[in-house]
Order: sequence, then structure tokens, then C-alpha cells
Amino acid sequence: MGADMSFDLGLILSYLPRILEGLGVTLMLWVIGSALGLAVGFAVAVGRRYGPAPLGWLLRGIVEVIRGTPFLVQVFLLYYGGPFIGLRLENIPAGILALAIYAAAYYSELWRAGFDAIPKGHLEAADCVGFTEWQTLRRIILPEMTVLVLPSMVNMTILILKETAILSIISLPELTLSVSAIGTQHYAFVESFTVLALLYWALVEICGALGRRAEARLSKYRFAT
Amino acid sequence: MSWKLFWLLVEAARLTVLLSAGAIAIGFLIACLVCAGMLSHNRVARGAGRLFVSFFRGTPLLVQLLLIYYLLPSIGLDVPSEVAAITGMALCTAAYQAEIMRGGLGAVPSGLLEAAEMTGMSAAQTFRRIRLPIAFKLTLPALVSEAIMMLKSSSLVSVVGVIELTRMAQDLAASTYRPLELYAAAGLIYLVINIVVALLGTGLEARLRWGRI
Amino acid sequence: MSAPMPAVRIEGLCKDFGTTRVLDGIDLDIPRGKVTCLIGPSGSGKSTLLRCVALLEEPTDGYISINGDPLGFDRGPNGARVKLPARQIRKVRSRIGMVFQQFNLWPHMTAVGNVSEALVTVRGMSRADAEERARKELDAIGLGARAGHYPSELSGGQQQRVAIARALALDPGIMLFDEPTASLDPELTGEVLNVMRRLAESGMTMLVVTHEIGFAASVGSKIAFLDHGRILVEGAPGEVFAKPREPRIDQFLETYLDRGAATLL
Repeated sequence: MGADMSFDLGLILSYLPRILEGLGVTLMLWVIGSALGLAVGFAVAVGRRYGPAPLGWLLRGIVEVIRGTPFLVQVFLLYYGGPFIGLRLENIPAGILALAIYAAAYYSELWRAGFDAIPKGHLEAADCVGFTEWQTLRRIILPEMTVLVLPSMVNMTILILKETAILSIISLPELTLSVSAIGTQHYAFVESFTVLALLYWALVEICGALGRRAEARLSKYRFAT
Repeated sequence: MSWKLFWLLVEAARLTVLLSAGAIAIGFLIACLVCAGMLSHNRVARGAGRLFVSFFRGTPLLVQLLLIYYLLPSIGLDVPSEVAAITGMALCTAAYQAEIMRGGLGAVPSGLLEAAEMTGMSAAQTFRRIRLPIAFKLTLPALVSEAIMMLKSSSLVSVVGVIELTRMAQDLAASTYRPLELYAAAGLIYLVINIVVALLGTGLEARLRWGRI
Repeated sequence: MSAPMPAVRIEGLCKDFGTTRVLDGIDLDIPRGKVTCLIGPSGSGKSTLLRCVALLEEPTDGYISINGDPLGFDRGPNGARVKLPARQIRKVRSRIGMVFQQFNLWPHMTAVGNVSEALVTVRGMSRADAEERARKELDAIGLGARAGHYPSELSGGQQQRVAIARALALDPGIMLFDEPTASLDPELTGEVLNVMRRLAESGMTMLVVTHEIGFAASVGSKIAFLDHGRILVEGAPGEVFAKPREPRIDQFLETYLDRGAATLL
């Protein structure tokens, strides 16, 4: 390679349908992975806060292990190691599962920080006006927490988007794999990875902008902490 | 799993630590420049700094590594894959570190700087004696998290053929057909390294005993 | 009768924040060796006025001079207002000591470090000499035993006293206080006010923004009452608080003192 020094992004972009297909898979992985991660992460945070102590320790241990090891190693462990304990998954479900577990560990920490950040006085005030525990959760804790954790949740969700690229390593046909395959086909590696970088960059910037807009709309509910 | 296999992983982990430490150190120097650019009064420098941070934080490290791995030879720089790997990691962590630094410098309460100004300190003295040490303390936890992030991200350089911990586990798993044990062991080694780094960070923080700001 | 040159002379001072006029043509002389207190409701511009004298805020218009030397801006030829070079600003400002509401002690330095820092970096003293001088200043305010403590290990009142020592160590000709007791618990304000009272007795020129009406009335030689960016009344405490009073002052006193105390004044 290298004889042809012309830098032709048009070549890569001429495969637009294949790129869009990969993009579709990336978005699917991202949305399902982070939605599951958000939900499971919330359950983990609730379990650690309100559950019995041994459950809390167990959950904390699992979260620390997931946060202390590379996502790629987790993916390999699940995808290649799983069959040895009877967990035989195709690469797409394996990828989604790995992503969801990974995301859940990080989201649970954000939820936990959100719980901790709600001033005790607000809960006492809810108690005083006679809210039930359920009403307090729904009317006070959840809305206040949403405002508090939104910026870090947006950051985390963007991080998950970037992590989906790693799933190309187990041949999952998402954006990175599709575009790099086009590059390999034409020995146009630099072009293909440039296009890829620009696509991810655009996606991340769009998400960031949407996140900031949501923050601005919610900002009137902010309170000093 | 035999001790011999485990020992091979530990050997490979040395390269993981070396690559990460190198990338973090080089990235720190680049981050200082980028941060200076972002805080500069010069519009071009500010724009360049922001663009750098936005790009390297806005794209997956995997894509950055692959791009650099193929880009360097195509512009006539035939370097070993370790160099490509460390370059990619350094640029990526530089973007994150620059943003951490900018946040830390901005978080120093303005009153402390006004107090320095009122004693007649010059801008340079105020920066060196007041703003920098306080920003360092404020950003220490974030910098330690970034170091741990980088140790984990170093697993991605396995795709450009650097035989570090993850790649060694991959190769051994293929030859011994024992992926479960090998990847679990690799994960354990990463975990231990990261716990050590976290403890070092906590120790350093405790030594700066001047408490809350 | 020609009065002696004031320590600070403020003429036609205006300050805008965006489109809001915070100071609207202030004329005020700060007499040498006396305590001048700025009082008034929140938002009246008294802190902004003090910060203009420290040049922490750049006045939009008007002039300030310290011992006759222009601060920040001077009258140029044909009446134009010219900004002075930074070196000149630092020289004039080096005669001013400032004490903040939030103390603003540097958290990474001990009490002695806070007091000695500028002696080393600005005045070029050796670290040992500077620390010796700093210890003397701390002894003078009764904090010699706390010299090695970090600000986080000191009470609010102690922190504010260290901040006063930090300013005094540089031998300022005038001390500015921006609500020095406003962030202190009531039981801690006394120790700070006592230090200020002793400083006043030693003949220091002081400009104090405060809500401590009792302090202003007993220690202040001159009181300026600000409202909406203007000086409503100025004069000796006896004149400003004498009845019949401006209705705005009555209103203000009733807010800051309980009714009984207000009628006593």
C-alpha cells in the first residue's frame, strides 16, 4: 500500500448505504445498551442504598470490578469465555449485554451521587407536609435527582457511544467495522478512519448540544447545594 | 491455569503500565500547551485548543489509534507500532487532562486571586504561588481517574499489534483454548494495578493536608 | 480654612455593571488617621465603592487619588480620562491593605505562610526574615500559637485576624475592610472588631464597609450612608444618626437594629 497518495474521502462516502447500515447498528447498540444500563444502574443504586448490607457489599464489589477492568477484556470474557459456562451468545446479544453491564456499573455510581446530593432538609420537608414515601420518591427525589445528575448522565451516555466502537473487535457489524471494511477493500485505511472519526465526532457533538439544551430547559429547577 | 501462563500475563502487564505511564506523562505536557491555548487571549490559540479537545474527546480511542497507526506510515513516518500506540494514547489523554486542568484553574475562588493581587503579587507570581497549587489539589482526584481510565484504555492498543496484557491474554487464549481463565486473570491484573493507582492517589491527597477550600 | 490632604479623595466616581449604574457620582474624602465607615442597605453600592478604591473594579468614570497620587486613571490633557500603566497602578496600590468578607486566606499555606508570602515574593525578603516578621504580626493579634496552622484548622474569627495580619505585614498606609464580620458567627465578630478597634487607636487610616452599626457609631470618625449608588448623608456619627433623621436612614436602622436600639441611637 501507500503507492497511491491521493486522499479521497469521496471513495469511502460512495458506500453511503453500507455506512448508514453500520450507523444503524451502532445507534441500536447505543440506545439499547444505555437504556438497559440506566435502568439496571438505578436498581443497583437503590439496592445499595435501601437493600440489606450484604447485598450492598456484593453490588459494590461487582461495580468496582467492572469499573476497574477494561471494557474490551469484559467483552472477550463474555463472548469467548461465556460458552465455557454455558453462556453461548451471538456477537450482537453478547455486545449488548456487555455494554449494558458496563454502562450499569457507571450509571449506578451517578444515580448514587444523585441520591446523596439531595439535601436532607428537602426530604424532611416532604415528611412534614405529610408525603408518603412513594410520593416523596416520585415528587421530590426523582425530579431533583434528574436535574442534579443530568450533566454527568449526558457525558456518560456519550462515553457509551464511543465504547460501542470496541464491539467491532468481536466482528459486530457496527459503524467502525463497516467503514474499516470499506477501507480494507480499497487499501484506503487513512481515508476510512478519517471518515469514521468525523462521523463519531459529529454524533458526539450533536448529543452534547442536545444535552446542553436539556440542561438549559431544566436549569430553572436547579437549586444551590 | 498454570503459573507459567499467569506469569506471561504479568510480564505483558509491564508493557501495559509502561505504555500508560508514558502516554500519561507525554499527554500531560501536551495538555499544558492545549490548556494554555484554551485560556489564551489569542483567538486562534483558543480555537485550536478547543478543537483539539473536542476532537480527541469526541471520537473513540480505537478509531484514533487506527487512524494514527495508518496515518504515520502514509506520511513517511515508519515507526514501530508501540510508538503509534503511545502517540494515540498521549493525544487522547491530553485532551481529557487539558479539560481537567481548565476546570481546576477556573475553580480556584476568585477572592483568593484578588487577595494575592492586593498584596502586590504580579500575575505570574499569583499563578505560580496561588492558582497552580490550589488547582492541583482540586484536580488531583480527576487526574487519578484519568490515569486509571488510560490504563484500561491501553487494552485497545492490542488491535495495532502491541503485545501488552490484553493481547497476550488473547494470544494465550487462542493457543491454549482457555479464554475464560485467561481473560479473568487479565481482568484481575488490571484491577490490581488500578487499585494500586487509586491508593497512590489517595495517599498523595492525604499528604496535602490543607483540607477543604 | 484649608483642610489637610485626605488619604483618599474620590471625585465623581461612577460604576456601571452592564446597563446598571451601581455608583452614581460619588464624591468622598477619607481623612488620614481616622476610621471612615460606609453603611447602607444591601445593593446600595458600598462594597463596589470599596472595591473601586482597591481597583479590584475598574471605575466607569471619575477619579480616585491616594495621598494625591492618581489611582488607575488620571486627567489627561484637554480633560480626557487616561488609564495609567500597570506598574504605576501596582505602586499606588501597594499602599493599600485589603480585608475581605470571605477572609480569602490561601488554603495551601499556614497562617505564617499567608502572612509572609508577599514579603518574600513582592518585597524580596528572605524566607526566614519574612517568617520572623509574620510571627510578630501574628503575636500582635494574639495568634502566635496558631502560626503553623492551616486556614481550615482555624475558626472564622481567627482566619479573619490572620487576614488582617497579612495585610498589615506589608505596612499599608490605608486599610480597606469589606464587611469583615459579615460571614462570622455572632460570637466571633467581637474578636475581629477588637483587633480593628486597636488598629484604629494606633492611628491607621481605615475605610470600612460594615453592617455593625454599633462599631461604626463608636469607632468611626466619619460615616457615609449610601443608597442607590449615591451618598445620601455623610458626616460624624453624631450628625448622621442625629434626629430628625433622613427617612431612608430610619428605615435602614430599623432593619438592621431592633426597634428599641434604633430609637436609642
